[in-house]
Amino acid sequence: MSHLLERPTPRWQPQRQAWNARTAGVLLLMAALLLLSGCATSPRLASPSDMGIAERTYIDGVPFHAQREYQCGPASLAMVLNYSNVDVSVDTLIPQVFLPNRDGSVQPEMQSTVRRYDRVSFVLDGNFPSLLKELDAGHPVVVMQNLSLPAWPMWHYAVAIGYDLDEQLMTLHSGEEADRQESFRRFDATWARSERWAMVALPPGDLPVSVGPRRAMDAIASFEQANDARAALPAWHAVTERWPQDAMAWFAQGNAEHSAGDPEAAAEAFRHATEQQPDMAVAWLNLGLTLESLGERDEAHLALQQAATLPSHWQADAEEALRRFRD
Amino acid sequence: MMKKLSRVLSPLLIAFLVLGSMSVAAAPQPAPSSSLVSTQDALSADQVSADRERIHEVLARQDVQDQLVAQGVDPADVEARVAALSDAEVRQMAEQLDDLPAGASVVGALVFVFVLLLVTDLLGLTNVFPFTR
Repeated sequence: MSHLLERPTPRWQPQRQAWNARTAGVLLLMAALLLLSGCATSPRLASPSDMGIAERTYIDGVPFHAQREYQCGPASLAMVLNYSNVDVSVDTLIPQVFLPNRDGSVQPEMQSTVRRYDRVSFVLDGNFPSLLKELDAGHPVVVMQNLSLPAWPMWHYAVAIGYDLDEQLMTLHSGEEADRQESFRRFDATWARSERWAMVALPPGDLPVSVGPRRAMDAIASFEQANDARAALPAWHAVTERWPQDAMAWFAQGNAEHSAGDPEAAAEAFRHATEQQPDMAVAWLNLGLTLESLGERDEAHLALQQAATLPSHWQADAEEALRRFRD
Repeated sequence: MMKKLSRVLSPLLIAFLVLGSMSVAAAPQPAPSSSLVSTQDALSADQVSADRERIHEVLARQDVQDQLVAQGVDPADVEARVAALSDAEVRQMAEQLDDLPAGASVVGALVFVFVLLLVTDLLGLTNVFPFTR
């Protein structure tokens, strides 16, 4: 642009400047629009057959609770809990999850409140296919959206209950509107601002279809801590059934069996853990201690020796246990 | 006409772009992953390190209880609420409760913001006004 103005054509200059300004304005506008649409394109999805889901789905019978004031958190929880056969009202949930001075509810407490009703709260991987897979499996999903812009957030919880890949529509119970339809594009733009936070509430023994073993185990361990091992056992059984090669799952199941008062079943689970991962020192240690309490001293000795030999975070504990065992 | 339009829209869009590129102060932090071994060592003789962690956890839980009371929660409800939190959630609450997004806040009702959000609503980027669908 500068070399244009240096040209010795003063008569043309003003006009050129005006033209330049207009071009710049238009270009800026176009660039801005491009950038804008760049941050909110429709999510690109694999074909339904690749994802293994139906073209469209709608979960029947998810009750709708219209939110009052800012209480979309308790309302959303009531919807998924009621659907999971938990008889609880929004009014009961408000003092359990709502933060009066924040005019809202925070994610950790959404997760923890589910546990108080004997349901496991699983946070999903934050992506669109996971959400669709859960809906296809018949699990209503609590999602967090920022309906406004990052600078003036308007955080909101809603319950996704269906989708239509053809029409590119999500169906949600949201705010004061049941069966609200939102385009994938708009939904994803608002959902992405919470880093696509999504949660399902399932009875122990049911697992989300989309999560991996680590996420599932984290969720169940948290459930077990807040409730008790006996309540968590069906969930651990479901995990070892789905991921029988996962040593940590067997280990966790062993701990739950032990806490629930069944050391034989615990030893069996710990044995599975050591078979799947022979260098898992902590499983050998727990196996040894469990067998010791069962009076099976020979096998206990071998297990504790393994635990004490393998380098691990628990080696000192294992050596100590072995010393005590020999005395 | 085009000139007029760009004169009106450009500053708006520039402002919007600047705001859009601002760091998201209130975005939720990803939950720190909890190691399963420590939550699962109710068994056995792994007591030394577990005890130390437990002391930290007791302090953090006390801290979260106080914060919840400060947020207007009825003290009678606080204990049960904190008891239902996992260790990772307690840590998250203790460290960043003020920064966590709380579902269902309101937007400041400035006229400029109103217009901006109306535009972004129409562009399908936001969903503040029900009538823009």
